[in-house]
Order: sequence, then structure tokens, then C-alpha cells
Amino acid sequence: MQSDSERQDLRRCVKDAVSNQDADAAVRYARRLISTSNKSADVMFCASAFAGIADCIKNQLGAKGLRTYVVRSVTVEPIVPFLAAEGVLSNYVLDLQLGGYGSYADELLNAQSALVDFKPDLVLVLLDLEEIAGRMPDLCADGIGAKVEEEIEECVSRTAQLLRSFRSRNSARLLFQGLVVPDRTSLGDVGNANLAHSLPNAVLQLNQRLAAICRTVSDCVFFDADHLAARYGRARWRDARMFLASRLPVSAEFFSAYSRGLVGSFSAMFRAPRKVLCTDLDNTLWGGVLGEDGADGIAAGSAFPGICYLDYQRYLKQLSSRGVLLAIVSKNNEADVRDAFKTRSADFALRLEDFVACKIGWNEKSESIRELAQELSLGLDSFVFVDDSPVECEGILQQLPEVAVVQAPIDEPWKLVEILSEQPFFDAVQFTEDDVNRLNEYKAQAQRAELAGSAGSRDEFLASLEIVCTFQSALQAPLSRAVQLLAKTNQFNLTTRRRSTAEVERFAAEGQAVVVRVRDRFGDAGVVGLALAQNRGDACIIDSFLLSCRVIGRGIETALLAYVGEQAQRTGARRLVGEFITTKKNTPCANFYPDHGFVKCAAMGTDDSASVFYENDLTASVPVSPKWITLEGNDSNEQSRNTVFTA
Amino acid sequence: MSNQEIPSSLRNLLADVLELSPDQVTPDLNADGVATWDSFRHLQLILSLEEEYGVQFDPQRIPELTSVSLLQAELEKKGAAL
Repeated sequence: MQSDSERQDLRRCVKDAVSNQDADAAVRYARRLISTSNKSADVMFCASAFAGIADCIKNQLGAKGLRTYVVRSVTVEPIVPFLAAEGVLSNYVLDLQLGGYGSYADELLNAQSALVDFKPDLVLVLLDLEEIAGRMPDLCADGIGAKVEEEIEECVSRTAQLLRSFRSRNSARLLFQGLVVPDRTSLGDVGNANLAHSLPNAVLQLNQRLAAICRTVSDCVFFDADHLAARYGRARWRDARMFLASRLPVSAEFFSAYSRGLVGSFSAMFRAPRKVLCTDLDNTLWGGVLGEDGADGIAAGSAFPGICYLDYQRYLKQLSSRGVLLAIVSKNNEADVRDAFKTRSADFALRLEDFVACKIGWNEKSESIRELAQELSLGLDSFVFVDDSPVECEGILQQLPEVAVVQAPIDEPWKLVEILSEQPFFDAVQFTEDDVNRLNEYKAQAQRAELAGSAGSRDEFLASLEIVCTFQSALQAPLSRAVQLLAKTNQFNLTTRRRSTAEVERFAAEGQAVVVRVRDRFGDAGVVGLALAQNRGDACIIDSFLLSCRVIGRGIETALLAYVGEQAQRTGARRLVGEFITTKKNTPCANFYPDHGFVKCAAMGTDDSASVFYENDLTASVPVSPKWITLEGNDSNEQSRNTVFTA
Repeated sequence: MSNQEIPSSLRNLLADVLELSPDQVTPDLNADGVATWDSFRHLQLILSLEEEYGVQFDPQRIPELTSVSLLQAELEKKGAAL
């Protein structure tokens, strides 16, 4: 714990930053204050400081404002400042509204509830055992519990109905909190462990079933409160005195941890996970310094301390198998590194082929990461950097603030995996096949770059790729992938509207929700583009139009626009209207509509004043797909007038 | 009554939780006189005091401790090092 004078200093810094309306400094000092002080008064101080500059935090730091409604059956008021503060530390400004104690069902089910009026972006459902399965403690009392299974079924179906019925009318993201497994019951520890229907066993089973229900509800995440409680100790998680006197569900000492858990959990629905992990080699991927100790001298393999590094390698391998790209960024001689990977392969979990790129040399690491970002067409905010050197870590922090930096603890190598797994960088609610195939796709991209160097004209090069575009309804392709694209595409995204699953479904029903799947001779890139459009009067208005940055510049955007145009024509539209909303990141597509012959037109009445509209007269011309692209799709047979073009 | 009678750690904590400036915290300050001091803020205050001074209040006494001087007296009774 820090000294009181240090604490007062930090508080003064926060206060000064607030009066200067300097959001960055305020959050920076507050983060330091909260991470070093154990006092809840400091958290409340920060929460009220943040509340005073909420707009600055949004404008200067790009924090996402979230109207958050809390459906609850317990007392959460004292936790609210903690939740608000943790939200800001993760770059969210939460506008929190609490529901009534007893009205959770009404709020979720009634079409005219206070919740609906609040128009939330996010709904947190925080119920207790009593509401979800109130009869369970009595039914489990003898551990035989003939009725327990029946009760579980009933609880699950009641909850499912609650969530599904809410979802059918409201598109706010949902967080559903699981139950905390009771620590002690009248059966005692032995009975709880050995009887199939002890209360702890029944609640564990119920939690799994509830999580499964959440998976079937779109934009819904299950928050495993029990996992968190177990981490800190279930016996201490709840203060019986405060629960019985005031229905406070969590002991005050865990307000911060609980809030952090909640924020981390809903965050996965709003933020794309990072995609690339750049690792250093010496004293990070192995122990020791290759240039000094030689390939035989570095620590790796199954004996301590080598096993610490082997563990880290295994962890990276696991990340890789779910689609996180690995890269080496190291100051070393490349030949030595290749030799080490060859001669020590029995002691390594990773092969050089597991890395999408190697930046081995004597360049500045920030420069190497910048190059990597360019080569992979990824933003710097997709990168995580792991290095044991405080100097290198500080360098990246200063020069590439978007990159997340993890410092490997050089004297305690066994801690690295834990430090890394505590971070929410790679958290995702779901994985799609496309995530898993990403490594191959990026490798293919490198091969394409090579071919680009050897082919003659651009058209010839593109033709030699043998690109095939398949158009599908977003409902047919994995819908989760469409929503994921909406959530994480920044560069080639004309309106950057983060539409939810429910909204995509609405477009599919009332207009167009088209995805494009792309493959070429090097590989299958999967679903990489999406368009949402809806007819209004004689115009077809394109609400969202986006393309994954890894396939930009190959004419796929034009093919998608042509497809949307033809569909619009088919449904009787006479004009195709495109909308563009400028952001910090989407300049690559600023001229997309003008480049395709669209002309500026009057606003089409959306609430975005930043929107610019363009139109194309469909009775005069329709955008045409590039000749080097082969088209497939729902009704695409008649469209495949473009011939297959082979080199 | 002067502010000097309230130990500074207590005064600062009350100020943080009730969102007041420390000079506004006087011994006769009570829940009726402060807009932010509602029953939930009161619970928040109790939890923060318990944490700061390592004491536990009796749930039956908690609703009665609605002024600064009452809180201070109860803390002293519990042997808190103010």
C-alpha cells in the first residue's frame, strides 16, 4: 500500500485534471490511485470525479457511452460507484439506471416497462438464488432430492422464457449473472461433495444450464459470478450480516473485483478482441540470452526453469489455435534464432511456422510492429506486445500507445502465463470458424504479396488470384460472424454502426442483409463483407457497408455494391442511396460512393448529422462487378455472366 | 462546533462518500440536511467506515447512526483508532 502523502498527491492530480478538463490525465492518475489504494473512499472519489467530466472522457478518450439498466433483486446501490469507476478505466462511460427490487420480471417482460423507456444499450440481469431457484435449498436438504432435476428444468425454462421474450422485443445487449454456489449447507462438506443433489451440486448444474441458455440468446453473455467468488474465496464473498440486513450480495471488500468482472464480461460484446501477440525471445519465449548462452544454453523444456518458458509457449500455441496471430519481435541474429528453433525443437512447444511473421534484427521494436501492422493490414490496437525489458516496454507504451504491453517478469518466469491470462485482450463471447482459419489466411496474404511483385498489371494480378465471391443472406452464413464484422471492422466501414444480431435479423426480414464470402487460389478468407440495406419509397438506402481490411483493394467491395444494387432493382427501387459517416479510421473508404459514380444528395433523415448521402440512379446504371471476380450466391446464377478469368 | 473535533481521516472519508467538500463536514451534519445522504448512501458510508477503521456495526444500530457526531461516537465506542 502506498503512503498517505502519495495517495493525497494522486488525489490532487485527479482533481487538477478534472478542473482542467483533461480526461487523459484524470483517468491516468485515477488508475494509479485505485490500483495502489485499497480504500473504497478513493474509488468513490474517482467515480464522482469522472462523473464531472463524463463528456470529456467520451470526447477526448473515445470512451463508449453505454446506457445501462440494471435488473436486480438485491441491493446494488453501494456498488454503483465502483461499477462506474471500473467502467471508465476500461473506457466506458456508464449511464446507470437501477430497476426495482421486485419488478425484474415485469421489467424484462412488459413492453412498457421503465427498462424499455430508458432505451438501454446494455441490460445487466443480477438476480439471486431466491429469485432464480428459491425452492432449491429446501429440495436439496436431504441430498437425494427427487424433485431437484424437475426444479432445475423449471428454473431453466423460466429463465429462458424471460431472456428470449425480452430479446424478441429489445435489442439491448444482455448480461445474465450466474449463481454463486453456496459455501456451506446443513449437509456439511462431505454431504455436499458426495450427494448428487446437494445444493452446491444442484447450483453448479443449474449454472451450466443457464450458461447454455445464454448461448442461444443473441447478444447475451453469461457472467460466471461463482467463478469470481471462488477465485477470492466463496466463504468471504458474501458478508452474511450485510446480506441478511440489507440484501447486499457481495462483501464490500470485493466491490472492485466484482465490478471489474462485470465490465470485463460485457466488454466482450462491445469490443473486438486483439488479434496479434508479438513476443520477445530472450528471457521471454525462453530463459537466458541466445546470443550469449547459445542454443544449447537457453532454458526451455520440461525441467525447471525451462518449463516456465515451455508453459508460456504452450499458452501461445493455444491462443494460436483459436485464431490469435503470433509474431516474433526480437533483437537477435536471425540465423541463430532459426538454429535454436531447429536444435531445441524437442524442448519447444512452438515451431517457427506457428508465427505469422518474424521481425528479428536490430531495428527499433516500435518500427517492427508498425511494419507488421501494415503487412497484416491491421490496426495497432489489435496488437499485444510481450517483452521482459522494461526499456522496450516503455518504448512501445510511449511510441505506440494503442498497443497493449505486457512485461514478462524476468525473475519470476512462472508468473508470465498468469499475468497474460488475467488480461481481457483476447476475450470473446464466441469464436467463429473464420477466427480459427485466420492464421492460414494471413499466410496466404503474404504469398499474395509475393505474387503481386511478380505479376504485371494490377488487373492481371487480380485475375491470377482467381477470386470467387459468394453472396449469402446474413442469416444463412453464421450470423455471429456478420455481427462480429459489424463490431470490429473500422477501416473499410462506411457508417461504423455496430448493429446487433437482432438488428441484422430485422434488416434481413425487411430489406437486405447480405454477406460476402471470398476464396481465391491461396485460400478461403471466409465471410469478409456485409451490407445492410432497406427500401424507403423509391430508394434503397444502404445502412451499413463494410469489408474486412484484409481483402480491400481486390474489387470485392465493388462486387458487393453491385450485388446490393441488383437486389435493390429487383425489389423495385429506382435509386440506390449510400451513406458515409466519417470516423478517425475509415478514410480508406471516404470516396467509395463517388468512385462508383454516385452523386451527393439530400440527407435521408437519419439522426446522424455527420452523415453524407450519395445516390445512384438505378434506372440509368447499376454498379458492375469487376470482371476478374467470379460470383456465386443465392440468386447468383443469372448474375454469373462474368466469366471465370484464369491467368 | 468547530471542525477540529472531527479527526481528518473521518472528515475526508465522509466528504468522499457524501460528495461534499471536507469543510462542509461538521459534527451536527445529518442525513436530513444533506441531499446526497439517503439510505443507500448511508449504507455506503457504513461500509466505508467499517473498511477504514476495521470495525463492524450492529445492523440494528446502523439505521440510527444518521449524523456525523453519532457515527463518531459509535466508532469511538467500538474502539476505532480515529
